[in-house]
Amino acid sequence: MPTPSQQAQAAPATKIDIDSIHSFLIHPGKGAESPHEINGAAVPKSGKLFDMLRPVFDEAEEDCPHKIAFNSQSGQQKNDSRDALIAYIKNCDLNHGRDIAKRLQVVTTHRSGLGLLFLMKGGKNGETKIVVSRFPADSGILAEEKGKGLSVEFLERIFMKSAKTYKAALYSGSSFTKDFWRGQAADKQINSAESVIADYWIREFLLSDFLTPGEAGTRRFAIAVRETMNRCAEPGVKQDIVAMQNFVAKMPSQVVSAKGLLDQFHVPEGTQAQIKDRFPKAKSFEETFTFVPGEFTKLVNMRTIELDNGALLTAPTDRFDQVFTREPVASAVNLFRFSTQGTIVDQRFRKVKP
Amino acid sequence: MTTLEETFTLRRERVLVPLADRIEAHLKSVFSGFPRIDRISARAKSVARFIGKGAKHEGGIPKYADPLNQIQDQVGARIVTFYASDVEKVRLEIEKYFKYIESKKIVPESESEFGYEGRHFILFVPEDLIDDKLDREESVEFFELQIKTLFQHAWSEAEHDLGYKPSGALTSDQKRRLAFTAAQAWGADQIFNELYRQTSATTVLSEPSPR
Repeated sequence: MPTPSQQAQAAPATKIDIDSIHSFLIHPGKGAESPHEINGAAVPKSGKLFDMLRPVFDEAEEDCPHKIAFNSQSGQQKNDSRDALIAYIKNCDLNHGRDIAKRLQVVTTHRSGLGLLFLMKGGKNGETKIVVSRFPADSGILAEEKGKGLSVEFLERIFMKSAKTYKAALYSGSSFTKDFWRGQAADKQINSAESVIADYWIREFLLSDFLTPGEAGTRRFAIAVRETMNRCAEPGVKQDIVAMQNFVAKMPSQVVSAKGLLDQFHVPEGTQAQIKDRFPKAKSFEETFTFVPGEFTKLVNMRTIELDNGALLTAPTDRFDQVFTREPVASAVNLFRFSTQGTIVDQRFRKVKP
Repeated sequence: MTTLEETFTLRRERVLVPLADRIEAHLKSVFSGFPRIDRISARAKSVARFIGKGAKHEGGIPKYADPLNQIQDQVGARIVTFYASDVEKVRLEIEKYFKYIESKKIVPESESEFGYEGRHFILFVPEDLIDDKLDREESVEFFELQIKTLFQHAWSEAEHDLGYKPSGALTSDQKRRLAFTAAQAWGADQIFNELYRQTSATTVLSEPSPR
């Protein structure tokens, strides 16, 4: 069942069936002087292969969680990858499909290996939907019984061993001016804590980036955290945020969602719910963006000192030294005692001016 | 059958006017505290301007076959800065916080001409500002943002007003006078920018050294 965030994504209003499928074998070609010739074929709209591919097309809205958009080239309303996609939609033949395949080949490294590209297109009531997907090659063993004997053979070009392991991108729309700029992407092959989607798939092949720029996504997250801190009355939630803020501020730039980031630092679900409530839209909580550390610290501008006993001392940066008195206890080992006094009234974050 | 004017009028009221308000508020929030910005505003294109633009021809054929989907400045926003160097600073900030499909610096075609100048963007409407209750077909995907100096803004507003006068096209002499005012606006921007640069440097240099 799709999550609320997936339900709200830009999907065609009516269900669209597949009109045509073209497939191309993609050899690694990045940096190659004479790239391998690309062979392709039309896939019949019936049979086991079609049955295997149909869910990839039908469920792309739910299965492609990352919102992406084509990049402008040289400031103009032009993108070579988008142009190739639109040319294919308009002509829907092997030649135009091969142009897309060539674009994938020149960015495919030997590490990515051999792949099978599928272009699946459908249309209804003036609306066009296209799914571009790449399945990696795998190896396996073919065992065939022959009479009372057994033939065992090692196979190197097995595709779709798991129909759930692939990369994909989805685009839909009715206007070649207004639509087909934004899309959705998935990478069901990646298994990395550092990324959620292969760079070469969205940046090099699709010449795209996340729809929400890093600073914008980080800003939205930081404001939600700050507002939760400033407006929530629950001490436990505030403590969770103070602890989390210290770690997040030290986090390097990486592709995350707000939910993924909070999960990463084991922020309790109750606190996550409070932060999610401060997002302009609930679905944005799971949207992928590139976290920008400087943007976060700019908006949640508190100075924190962390002691090796687990203490976190936090105060507005400009008054930190007045709020906390620091006494050396044993200078040789950098041991200090911090003290402060006051009536507990609240805990707050402050924003710094740009 | 619904006419283009009726369709756009409905879209303007239901979609574009509220969207322009949200875009203006969002821009003001992003640029809160940013120095030397005179004003930030956003507006929905008027029905008359939309219909006029949609009826334009290029090389004898209609420029827009599908105006509702092809005209990208149905919502237009503007950021007006004090000095010319601030336009570039605002541009860099916009590129951080917004995804764009077009970014261009508009200047006269030759060095000997003076006329309209400004930085124009075609930006995606940020996801958070889209009304999810609306169908995708009912709304717009993009809005236009112009970044200009006070002098560029003042000149283009007056020039735009004169261009829409019912008396028809301007005479050669009137166009020459208009170009003269554009040259003066350009010169004023150059001098103010230089004065700002000099006084900023002087402020830093003349600060007393700590004792």
